[in-house]
Amino acid sequence: MKRLLLAAIAATLAVGAAAQQPNPRDAVPDKMPFDLPYGPPISLDRAQAAINAAVAESKKRGWKLNVAMVDSGANLVAFARMDGAQIGSIQIAEHKARAAAKYRRETKIFESGVQEGNLHYLLTLDDVIASRGGIPIVDNGQLVGAIGCSGGTGSQDEVVCKAGADAVMKR
Amino acid sequence: MKQRPMLTLEDCKKISAAAEGEARRNNWNVCIAILDDGGHLLHLARMDGATPANARIAVAKGRTAAETRRSTANWQERVAKRIELLRMPEVTPVQGGVPIVVEGTCVGAVGVSGVQSHEDEQIAAAGIKALG
Repeated sequence: MKRLLLAAIAATLAVGAAAQQPNPRDAVPDKMPFDLPYGPPISLDRAQAAINAAVAESKKRGWKLNVAMVDSGANLVAFARMDGAQIGSIQIAEHKARAAAKYRRETKIFESGVQEGNLHYLLTLDDVIASRGGIPIVDNGQLVGAIGCSGGTGSQDEVVCKAGADAVMKR
Repeated sequence: MKQRPMLTLEDCKKISAAAEGEARRNNWNVCIAILDDGGHLLHLARMDGATPANARIAVAKGRTAAETRRSTANWQERVAKRIELLRMPEVTPVQGGVPIVVEGTCVGAVGVSGVQSHEDEQIAAAGIKALG
């Protein structure tokens, strides 16, 4: 009992000591992060062109994926499930695209934040998916939509997603 | 083991393009969703000018038709006579969802949303017709 009490006191002290350390998240940057304006919604033609490019890349590698495109309001515009692609990944492909549009960044940033940055709070933010394979489509500095892929490993999803995004991105 | 036909992505593209053509000929902006026989999304195209709600509703109509193996127009008629059918879970009883039947088997469905519901159905039927 006595030993237990001592351990409890030691733990309390340790927490107190940790509180003395500066928290990197207390820093206040001057600039807004990912300050990308939401532009007009991507057209169906371009959305389908991105999906076709992604499907072609996936087919070339013998992979079966789901590919989703959303507009600048994060709403679904076009979708394709390749023959034999995993049905559990239908919603994930759309979720990745939606999160990339809503948060104006690649979903890989959330994955890295959780994995390498230990930023577990990211998982508590609304509609986040901490898995790579979601990329915003940017037109002349404006976000017009986003593409999301799912069905393989995160790395496979990302390769295909990038092929789709590159096909329609105007830089 | 029983064998059954299955929609491919190429089939979906054919259906979607024909449905889109029918909508375009009439100057209608709609969303066209194609689902498999389990009600899982296979293909979706939201034409420029169709609303975000159209995307959700097209999928809901298509899922109803795919899972129940009957058109949502049929559901609409039945609900008109038996209001208690509105409590059927996950059913969208509004015309515009049409099952795709191949060799007597339901292989999926097309759901359309964007114009009047009988026009939505016209578009869905045009798409399925292209399958041959």
